[in-house]
Amino acid sequence: MAFLQKSMSFSLMGTLGISCLLLIALWAQEAVALPITSHCKIDVSDFQRPYFTNRTFMLAEEASLADNNTDIRLIGDELYRGVKRQDRCYVMKEVLNFTLEEVLSPQSDIFQPHMQEVVSFLTKLSNQLSLCHTSGDDRRIQKNVQTVKETVKKLGEGGKIKVIGELNLLFFFLKNACA
Amino acid sequence: MMPKHYFLGFLIRSLLASGTETQPVHGALKPQKVQFQSRNFHNVLRWQPGSSLTANGSVYFVQYKMYGQRQWENKTDCWGTTALFCDLTNETLDLYEPYYGRVMTAWAGRHSAWSMTSRFTPWWETKLDPPVVTAIQVNASLLVLLHTPELPYRNQDGKNTSMESYYDLVYRVFITNNSLAKEQKAYEGTQRMVQIEGLTARSSYCIAADIYQPMLDRKSPRSERRCMKIP
Repeated sequence: MAFLQKSMSFSLMGTLGISCLLLIALWAQEAVALPITSHCKIDVSDFQRPYFTNRTFMLAEEASLADNNTDIRLIGDELYRGVKRQDRCYVMKEVLNFTLEEVLSPQSDIFQPHMQEVVSFLTKLSNQLSLCHTSGDDRRIQKNVQTVKETVKKLGEGGKIKVIGELNLLFFFLKNACA
Repeated sequence: MMPKHYFLGFLIRSLLASGTETQPVHGALKPQKVQFQSRNFHNVLRWQPGSSLTANGSVYFVQYKMYGQRQWENKTDCWGTTALFCDLTNETLDLYEPYYGRVMTAWAGRHSAWSMTSRFTPWWETKLDPPVVTAIQVNASLLVLLHTPELPYRNQDGKNTSMESYYDLVYRVFITNNSLAKEQKAYEGTQRMVQIEGLTARSSYCIAADIYQPMLDRKSPRSERRCMKIP
């Protein structure tokens, strides 16, 4: 309203001028709003490459055999607790980056040959999300992701195996949230 | 049915209470090779007796849970069963969720420890049967009907989702012609009724189909061939 009144005060400006300004204002608003959603996106075709899908699942299957803890699950709906639907992809971006940086890269010598291929696949997905940000307050998101990180840390080596055993879940969650 | 379950529940509890006494036979009794066998998304738990000695007269108790849950659920239909399998389709309906099943046996007043499956995700592990093909000749075209294996009904969020897209699968129809040795793909998609047109008169054609899962690049075995002559 303040903007409108100010525009009106310029006596030389007619309705056309105001309309123009309004259009520009609307356009500017959209330009600011657009990147937030569009950057939290992974091309759907990335989830339709059987070669990588199969390897991700094989790796998860192999690791899950070494995970005797059936009670604790890292990737589940708890990650989204208190999180807006449009922020789900951002949540998964955080989980993906944690998985890559703190679990997969340091463990890349195990579970070969699948590991190497899965890491390159997930890195590609992660790159697509590099500009993905949350639209609002991300304290709740960080808290949910922190819970996962702490659980992994608490479980030690078993925690890392658990992360690898859940790569299939990571795949589905990324697909559902980002594609 | 109910009194039987109560009795079995009581039996199990008393067996569990005396668990320490029965320790030495645990190993021999424990069911072997406990695993899910999934066909057309019907998920059946199967196992073998712990030893030939216990093959007769054993009763089995089945539990299941989703990975990440703390509590195991009793499968009441298979609570005290003498069968070596248990249908857990309805308990493992979510294609993309990981599940576990486990089996315990009781034999001659003793019981075993639980034998657990590996983590089981229906979407990844199920094997699909081929469709059954019917072909009807209509002038110079063939109308192909695909009778697909029965897939379990699931409560779906989107009511409009077809069975095919829900299960993320497509049908593929292949055609061969007697003058042309090479087989061609005539159709790939989610329709169960397919019309193949532009066929040459006085030629014989054979049709076969399969079910394909594009995300995994997996296919069912081929259906039986149906052959027809275009007049």
